[in-house]
Amino acid sequence: MGKPVDSTVTITACAAVTALGDGLAPLERALADNATALRSCARFAGNNYQTDVVSAVPDALWDELRRDDPARADAPAFLLAHRVIRQLRPHATGRVGLVLSTTKADITALERLHAGQPCSDAARRHLLPGQLAADLAAANNMRGPVRCISVACVSGLLAIQTAAEMLQRAEADAVIVAGVDLLSHFVLAGFTALKSLDPDGCRPFDKDRTGLSLGEGAAAVLLVRGSGMTVAGWGSSNDANHLTGPSRDGSGLALAMQRALKKAGVQPGEADFVHAHGTGTLYNDSMEALALRLVFGDNIPPFSSSKGLFGHTLGAAGVLETILCVLAVRAGIAPGTPRLRVAGADIPASIQLAPRRGATLRTIVKINAGFGGTNAALVLRSQP
Amino acid sequence: MMIASYIGPEGFGNSRTGLQPWPAGLAEVLQRGEVPDGAWAALFSASCPRFGRMDGLSRLGLMAVELLGVEFADKDEVGVCLETNGGSIVADRQFLRTLSPSVFTYTLPSTAIGEICIRHKLRGPVLCLMGVNGDGRQALEQAQSWLQTGEVKSCLCVYADATGDAAARAGTCCFEYGSREDEVQKGESLVALCRRMCETRRTED
Repeated sequence: MGKPVDSTVTITACAAVTALGDGLAPLERALADNATALRSCARFAGNNYQTDVVSAVPDALWDELRRDDPARADAPAFLLAHRVIRQLRPHATGRVGLVLSTTKADITALERLHAGQPCSDAARRHLLPGQLAADLAAANNMRGPVRCISVACVSGLLAIQTAAEMLQRAEADAVIVAGVDLLSHFVLAGFTALKSLDPDGCRPFDKDRTGLSLGEGAAAVLLVRGSGMTVAGWGSSNDANHLTGPSRDGSGLALAMQRALKKAGVQPGEADFVHAHGTGTLYNDSMEALALRLVFGDNIPPFSSSKGLFGHTLGAAGVLETILCVLAVRAGIAPGTPRLRVAGADIPASIQLAPRRGATLRTIVKINAGFGGTNAALVLRSQP
Repeated sequence: MMIASYIGPEGFGNSRTGLQPWPAGLAEVLQRGEVPDGAWAALFSASCPRFGRMDGLSRLGLMAVELLGVEFADKDEVGVCLETNGGSIVADRQFLRTLSPSVFTYTLPSTAIGEICIRHKLRGPVLCLMGVNGDGRQALEQAQSWLQTGEVKSCLCVYADATGDAAARAGTCCFEYGSREDEVQKGESLVALCRRMCETRRTED
């Protein structure tokens, strides 16, 4: 293990593949337009799930990914993650590490095995998230440390935290953090079993919110030591309360935020914006509102959720939403909350319904919470 | 202070009590990669009402932590770092067979961390690392890093695997800030370290 070094960790490049397509341009447009990518999806129609409204990578893009790598045509988690890592790899020099964030890796391989369908050795390997990370690192000639993080919906933020710590310990010169998760019958059936999905598509922080919407995609950020858009602080916590429901008082998420702010040396009043988890479930959104009050008191900064844009992408969510924050800073747009119509009575008034142009965002707090009572926060700062 | 515990087909115990043999029949079950319903009651007098509903990974992790026999002070400052290779693969297969919501809860490897935190009321930083080597080295390094940088005052470092493809086993260390650096060598395997610490105690006895 390397000795800790005094260093600032910065995000220098981003890549994403989502329901909107490949690249950052569609995300930038959606950010400005407060758009949604939630649609009814033929892949999941007629299966007795609560809904078939999801945020799915377009079929034409899947076809392209499979054509590009026929040997791994039935290993979609690899194909998605490889696409975004490959885009960032040329920008990373020296000893390059990889931190992969995923909750279910290639769960579609298990579905095929369960149904007695053919499944390649490559796809079978990727049932194990650690193997998926190892194969992605090898395919992209990454010789630095490789880690795979799987902590439910906070995986992405903890992966960025893990990468930042690697850089501060000087174990790598650059680290690519990639998040990936697939839409699958497994996750649709699971969230249906928990009755957690909104049949019409999620409405984060809305008075009529009834559940979340699932999404798929891959996102990656390149972290190096240096100045720019910095990952200034991070923190995590556990509610020690319940496996599938958030703590009712918001104290666990507040603890994670307070740890991140303290590490960044930032006072709550310095935060310009909070990018929330905002799944659209009744309890999550209420819990977040309480957590924001615990940390910011009566001066809660403007906040929003992007789950109405690309759904809940699980292991990719933290990385994808961090990228949205980077794009928001660059564009000078405080993100809105797609699909929110009327905010719930328990939601703070600073909820951002529509995008606000001309915003100066120097300090953003990014938060996520997940099953197992896990909470995580990042403090992102843009240096002039 | 550093204390370790180990669970495997060879036996169970911690670095104070030493490694002890299993009650009749349990070693064979663990050798098959399973953690039976009666495992908790066979080892501990205190009850664990949630044990019956848990998957093997959570059961193993929780038992290994209980074996440490540690009372955690300052519970908001205790980190939990879990490493596993197979993760939730057994629960994944079971969910596809049953579509049960209670099984779906265990289709995340980090649920084992949630169970540990709920039982011991721990609210510190958490991390679940999906490894490939089956040795817990990544968790060990992460725990040391958190202690060195002051992220936590003490850290639970757990390796656990119960996949049905190999013997079920877990190794757990609890470090406190100020643990002697030379007690753990760079790149050392957590599982081997825990087992060695337990076996050393038995030899000393």
